[in-house]
Amino acid sequence: MFAHNNEEIDYLRLAILNAKLIQKNTGIKNITVVTDPHSLKHNEKTLGKKFIKSAINNLIVVEKDKKFKQKNIRLYKDTSHASKYLPFYNVNRCDAYDISPYDETILLDADYLILSDTLNHCWGHNNELMMNWKFQDIMYERKDPTLDRLYDMGITMYWATVVYFRKTEYVESFFNIVKHVRNNPQYYKDLYKWQGTLYRNDYSFSIAAHMMSGFVDKGIPQLPTTLYKSFDTDDIHSAVDKNTIIMYLEKPRSPGDFMLTKWQGIDLHIMNKWAINRISEELLDA
Amino acid sequence: MSTRLTKALEFANYRTTLNNQQSQLKAKTQSLLSYSINGGTFTIDLTLITFCKHLIDDGQTDVVLLDIYNNPIKVNVETFYEEIYSRYFEVTNDYYVEYEKLRKARKVHKVLDLNEEGK
Repeated sequence: MFAHNNEEIDYLRLAILNAKLIQKNTGIKNITVVTDPHSLKHNEKTLGKKFIKSAINNLIVVEKDKKFKQKNIRLYKDTSHASKYLPFYNVNRCDAYDISPYDETILLDADYLILSDTLNHCWGHNNELMMNWKFQDIMYERKDPTLDRLYDMGITMYWATVVYFRKTEYVESFFNIVKHVRNNPQYYKDLYKWQGTLYRNDYSFSIAAHMMSGFVDKGIPQLPTTLYKSFDTDDIHSAVDKNTIIMYLEKPRSPGDFMLTKWQGIDLHIMNKWAINRISEELLDA
Repeated sequence: MSTRLTKALEFANYRTTLNNQQSQLKAKTQSLLSYSINGGTFTIDLTLITFCKHLIDDGQTDVVLLDIYNNPIKVNVETFYEEIYSRYFEVTNDYYVEYEKLRKARKVHKVLDLNEEGK
């Protein structure tokens, strides 16, 4: 996982929480988190060094690229009622191949909560690289077609939320392309026509997937698990236990109005980062 | 708002919650019916179980099966069959229990396994 805090969101706390969930739900102990001195210092103060060590056995501290941080700004929402523009620091995720000390790695977003052992299906897999383009919203009737492609007529968008990879020449080349996209965003933006000015790893991973498949759409195999996601307009009601959370889901035709759902035993990408931080104590105790 | 309308809206809310919860349960079951072995991943379903039983009855031992990615995976069919057979019933029995619980729940908080205070 990569975890760099901004002024409001404690990504490292999310990563620590997720590491605890990973340990409890999958039994995986080798967890690497890449962070920066500021985020680490803050969490050492709030959670304690010992607790961090018990969650993450390999902590890598790198300096932030300040220019990138100031440039890559996105809108974060805490339900429809509150939103804020904040730096989105995701520039070093494409270095995962070089940083990973393992032969097989599952690269995760800190906010992709591991509530099952499904990802264990990946270990020893014949496919050396897997990631999802198919996703499902946890409110089944809610659809967002803008998340299907880089733009309306563009290539399929892969989600860099969860990526399984083995250290092979092919995968090394894949990550080299991802890095090339990161280093030359304007060129690739013109070529692949993604919308907006924000740099997202979903874009660079999708472009690399397209190129490494011989310019064929959907050429990289998907993970043996569906990617479930919520929206940042949703909220979390409570954490019941280590693999169950109750969520407030915003009704699609009635913004600001919610329904409840019990989410159990399936990994979930939670877009509302404040919501996870609010129930982090509960989840850590679960 | 009239009592009748309030009740109707409450019922609509209950149905939406119930439908979503049933879909979630289905998704969880589907995910548990996934089985990985020898670098391949299989979806455990009736076709796979029946086919494996047929292979065993036919005297086969090591066979090549196509997984969900259409990759050829060599397995020992007897141990493979035992695993998918027991896993299928483990998962579907749990599904049945959870499904029945949902079917009998008539209030939103019961669908979600919460008490009336929402805890």
